[in-house]
Amino acid sequence: MKIVPKVLVTKIGLDGHDRGSRVVAAHLRDAGMEVIYTPPWQAIDAVVKLAIEEDVDVIGISSLATDHRIVPKLMRALRDADVTGVAVIVGGIVPDADEAMLLDAGVARVFHPGASLDDIADYIRSIVPAMREARSVTWETWHE
Amino acid sequence: MQMNEPPTLARLLGGDRRAIAQAISTIENDATGQDDLSRALAPHLGRARVLGITGPPGAGKSTLVNALLGEIVARDLSAGVVAVDPSSPLTGGTVLGDRARMGEHGGHEHVFIRSLSSRGHAGGLARRADRIVDVLDAAGFDVVIVETVGAGQSEVAIDALADVRIVACPPGLGDGLQAIKAGILEIADVLVVTKADLPGADAAWRDLADMLRLRREGRTKVPVLKTIAAQREGIAKLVDAAFAHVDATGRGQRLRTRLPHESARERMAPDTTQDESAPDRVTRLASRDPFAGFLGIECIGGGAGCATTRLRIGARHINFNGGCHGGAIFALADTAFGLASNSHGRLASGIEAHVAFHVGVREGDELTAHATQISRGNKLATYRVEVTRSDGKLVASFSGTVYVSARGHAG
Repeated sequence: MKIVPKVLVTKIGLDGHDRGSRVVAAHLRDAGMEVIYTPPWQAIDAVVKLAIEEDVDVIGISSLATDHRIVPKLMRALRDADVTGVAVIVGGIVPDADEAMLLDAGVARVFHPGASLDDIADYIRSIVPAMREARSVTWETWHE
Repeated sequence: MQMNEPPTLARLLGGDRRAIAQAISTIENDATGQDDLSRALAPHLGRARVLGITGPPGAGKSTLVNALLGEIVARDLSAGVVAVDPSSPLTGGTVLGDRARMGEHGGHEHVFIRSLSSRGHAGGLARRADRIVDVLDAAGFDVVIVETVGAGQSEVAIDALADVRIVACPPGLGDGLQAIKAGILEIADVLVVTKADLPGADAAWRDLADMLRLRREGRTKVPVLKTIAAQREGIAKLVDAAFAHVDATGRGQRLRTRLPHESARERMAPDTTQDESAPDRVTRLASRDPFAGFLGIECIGGGAGCATTRLRIGARHINFNGGCHGGAIFALADTAFGLASNSHGRLASGIEAHVAFHVGVREGDELTAHATQISRGNKLATYRVEVTRSDGKLVASFSGTVYVSARGHAG
């Protein structure tokens, strides 16, 4: 069966520059994905709750003004909530020196200025099957 | 990667967020085990009050749901929300934006919100939305709210989904009211004039009240309310009216409605029960169509009652005027029509078709035709096909009727 990737496109922190996240959301929609879009300024706990309830494959964080530095907090909150099988990607302005810090924290991939929209969509498509597999439940597990 | 402990039925029934979310995904993705899941949930249904909210696009449904959530949690009740957004008929993609308007309460521990793409399903409801409501009901939410795609008349399917049907009408709809009154207003249990601070709200309220007077006698009185969701005005009254309706008719009303509906549908078109195999059937039928292959038409997807085909216009599709030959466009639409009408497993033969061309097409353009089912009886079914260019322009509109034979397809 064809998998329709489910992607959360959001922004955490105090920066309100949301044009980038809107462009990415629209492109992923046109690439055939189901996109949950939120306005900026989301609380980390709210993002975790949303990711669980919507059962998303990917969380895309847009960061244009240093909000990427709190992404490790998000990664910790996801771990604390036992969220597995969900990839976190970050796009926007991330200094090279900070990229390693994000990858260390468990971020799957960082997209820098100049990254093509198609590359983002292709990357998401390439990782979704593994995410689905990791979150999959079978009928047997419905029983105690 | 560390594995989660498997979500169990007990955890779902206990209200565990992840178990609920994964149960919904199982149904949404048509995954194996969903029938067993539905059976397992059956004894736990009919506890929640299920509120259905529908209305034309821009009626303010999501904002209304947000206000309702505020009122519901203030009453110390819990709420599960299913918000349905339309998917693109071309790519299947969606931006699920309802949640953005419900953000205020989305983080509340007594609130669970799930966005659903309609995935091309007619009637404003995502496929199997009723089963998803069941999951939230069984999970113990006091109130379940279903918000459906604002599309118009076809939303009557909300009947089998909610215990009380709330229809939201914004002021200033004018003639738009004509379009919906024959369909969804008829099924309303509660009518709401939203954005009541806008000019024309009183006129809209009077129109609705007048219209109700024309309905046949002997029906329960339908309250007509006014709300200004952003200021919380009229919201408590709306919740009272909705709860009063559910309490008068009994919770689980939707479950009683569902059965006769389903059996009626099966009487009309017994073949639609084989919907699960429809996408494969469409692909299979497309692969053995020599004429489509000759023209370069490819099938890029389909399901029960729908199909999408694509054609890149090359030199061989050009007419003597240097534009795309109308026959090529017709053939593209006709192929989608044929696949959609044969998707149910019974042999369907076209008996009538009409096409209107809207804009010109040149060499190099990529055209997509999407066929959807308008109606289907035991013998006749009608379909609409829209042909669009890759820049989104509507190139041609096609409609057609098939005769449905009792036979299946050979092979």
